[in-house]
Amino acid sequence: MLFDIFDPKAAPRPIGIDLGTSNSLVACVRDGRAACLLDCDGAALLPSVVHYGPHGRVVVGGDAARLQGEHPEDTVTSVKRFMGRGADDPETRRLSSLRFATPSTPEEARVVRFCVADRVVSPVEVSAEILRTLAARARDELNGVGGVVITVPAYFDDAQRQATKDAARLAGLEVLRLLNEPTAAALAYGLEKKQSGTFAVYDLGGGTFDVTVLRLDDGVFHVLATGGDSARGGDDFDRALAEARVLPALGVADPGPDVRRLALDLARQAKHALTDHAEVEVALPRDGAPALVVTRAELDGLVRPIIERTGAACRRALRDAELSPTELTGVILVGGATRVPAVRAYVRELFGTEPLCDLDPDQVVALGAAAQAELLAGDGAMDDVLLLDVLPLSLGIETMGGVVDKILPRNTTVPAEARSTFTTYADRQTGFELHVVQGERELAADCRSLARFTLRGIPPMPAGMARLEVTFSVDADGLLHVSARELTTGLVQRVEVKPTYGLDDDAVEQMLLAALDHGEDDLAARRLVEERVEGARVAQATRQALAADAALLLPGEQATIDAAMAALVAAIDGDDAGRIHLACEDLQRATHAFAGRRMDAAIAAAISGRQLGDVERSVEGAKGVEAHLAAERS
Amino acid sequence: MADPFTTLGLAPTYSLDLASLDARYHELSKVVHPDRQAGKAPAERRRALSLAVDVNSAYRALRDPIRRAEALLARRGVSHERAAPTPEFLMEVMELRESLADARLARDLDRVRRMADDARARRARVTSALGPLLDAGRDADAVPLVAELRYLARFLDEVRVIEEEAGA
Repeated sequence: MLFDIFDPKAAPRPIGIDLGTSNSLVACVRDGRAACLLDCDGAALLPSVVHYGPHGRVVVGGDAARLQGEHPEDTVTSVKRFMGRGADDPETRRLSSLRFATPSTPEEARVVRFCVADRVVSPVEVSAEILRTLAARARDELNGVGGVVITVPAYFDDAQRQATKDAARLAGLEVLRLLNEPTAAALAYGLEKKQSGTFAVYDLGGGTFDVTVLRLDDGVFHVLATGGDSARGGDDFDRALAEARVLPALGVADPGPDVRRLALDLARQAKHALTDHAEVEVALPRDGAPALVVTRAELDGLVRPIIERTGAACRRALRDAELSPTELTGVILVGGATRVPAVRAYVRELFGTEPLCDLDPDQVVALGAAAQAELLAGDGAMDDVLLLDVLPLSLGIETMGGVVDKILPRNTTVPAEARSTFTTYADRQTGFELHVVQGERELAADCRSLARFTLRGIPPMPAGMARLEVTFSVDADGLLHVSARELTTGLVQRVEVKPTYGLDDDAVEQMLLAALDHGEDDLAARRLVEERVEGARVAQATRQALAADAALLLPGEQATIDAAMAALVAAIDGDDAGRIHLACEDLQRATHAFAGRRMDAAIAAAISGRQLGDVERSVEGAKGVEAHLAAERS
Repeated sequence: MADPFTTLGLAPTYSLDLASLDARYHELSKVVHPDRQAGKAPAERRRALSLAVDVNSAYRALRDPIRRAEALLARRGVSHERAAPTPEFLMEVMELRESLADARLARDLDRVRRMADDARARRARVTSALGPLLDAGRDADAVPLVAELRYLARFLDEVRVIEEEAGA
């Protein structure tokens, strides 16, 4: 192409981001194919490293990684391990070169924070820097970014998912969906190979391990079970090798952050080299020291116990899916750490089959995320594909004696809902607290505390009279929402949420304002972009609906919709965000009844399995009733 | 909660073809799943979401041999919650659980697995006996079998806990 024509009104494109422990990627579907977007040096991988310099300078990626040698304490690596974690998390006591801030209040202790250069940052802010860099890469390549799918380990709990969503919000991105990494990989794999069957996805990344068992059937990716460990990964291989071989060889009695960083770097280089070689010499930066020789057998011996710990999760996922290894069509390998030969050997042993690794294990998750983003916000070319995913960890409420009452078991397909009824235990009691936990253990103290929900505004009654119905809903992102109703009066109760870990809404809002240099201008510009994206999406959906189901229109309805559509298209061409918003609402109002009829017809068609023609006839009947009712009303 | 057979538009029979249950579930999900509501108005999204929740929950119920039986009995207004299996069965289950506890203490995972296999085989037998009874409307004969299935399920849950405890 001779001219790269920049069209400011061209529709922004949805993107997929793999926000990884060691590396992150961004991908997009163009001309029907998902591809990773490259930086100006042609690299797809962005090292998930953020360096904080003096005077508020922030460097992300390879440049940050290069600054790490000199400034180990001001450079954050593997931030994903800290997402949604409290200041007292065991993760803060592992081998690391970071300085952790000491919390001074219980509120501060809900989030781990790092002291870097002249400030203190949370993992959400660090992740937002990585997301911003990737979004900027996408913006350079595409005309605009219209919504993002971000992948998370399937085994991430509610707090870790929420933290990821907060980071995206802070980076100014509209999250279309959080997508589980193994499901993303299966989507990319399934779309590429067009194969059906039952697969296990074994995903060993830098800092997390996931296993997912799913069925691929006629475009539906149905997750049967998932399991894993959100604090286990390839980084642990580096640590094991560093602690067992490199640190002793360096001969430093009390290694400081820079020596520890160096040991981890050398270990990682040795690990990479041992993928293709049986033996590697590690040159030590110490005068007169002989090179350290590490063999693959030694590495295998060191990492084997770590790898074996993934076996229990795999067996459990198979049990939950009620399958034996022989019933699997194949095992898909994902994540950079699955390049280690010992991992492949273990997977072969465990599942009794040669694992599939013909897609790049580093890129496959991002490609799947891009495909899902296209499904959610694209032009509808992939309408036959659907992902049915599950809740990874059981949700429960703490009851008397600290015992957990499970309300939604793990591997429940989301969206899902559970209701429980409670009563008051004191006369005129107007408040009620619920402690929600996530995990499989019997005692609340052994599970992960999610939040305390306080129900307020219960009408004063004698003890035991009020009947509180609490609804726990988990959305398609795997995030929990709680609502409550008092059944005898039917009053909807106010629910206050105190998350055990993570930032509350106010804190995110504050960061958001602080992050915007030009406050209001930026916000206005962003709002215009968002309204345009949403407007274009609604217009496109309406056009498709009209093209598909014109037969469902009532006389005169088409004209009303056409007029609202023209108004919306004109508004999108303008620069007034408010006008676009109103035009969008008008169009939705104009299509409301039509949309309801479409859904009823689609459900009827799915249930009856009839041909569309039959459905149209029965819908003709339904329209008759509707028209009759309309006539009666007028 | 609505009757799962009605939600999925399936004929209320116990001997359900699981492949067609899956197919129906997938077809309906393609209509109501939140991922399919891009560009829809908030009110429509909410409606689809609650339908998606119902469809998921109905599918889960019908996939489960016990809950499928319970759903059929509930449709016919037959009470089944407090039904007990035969005394012989209860004795047998008691003995089974005792020897499961022994196997656990002896850390004899192989024995635990053999017992689990037996329980699963038995569950399969009870399930296949249950189908014809329920589908012939012989609810009084079916109810004790449903209770047996509940006991077997609890037994297999214990096995699962033991297996997970052993890291297997």
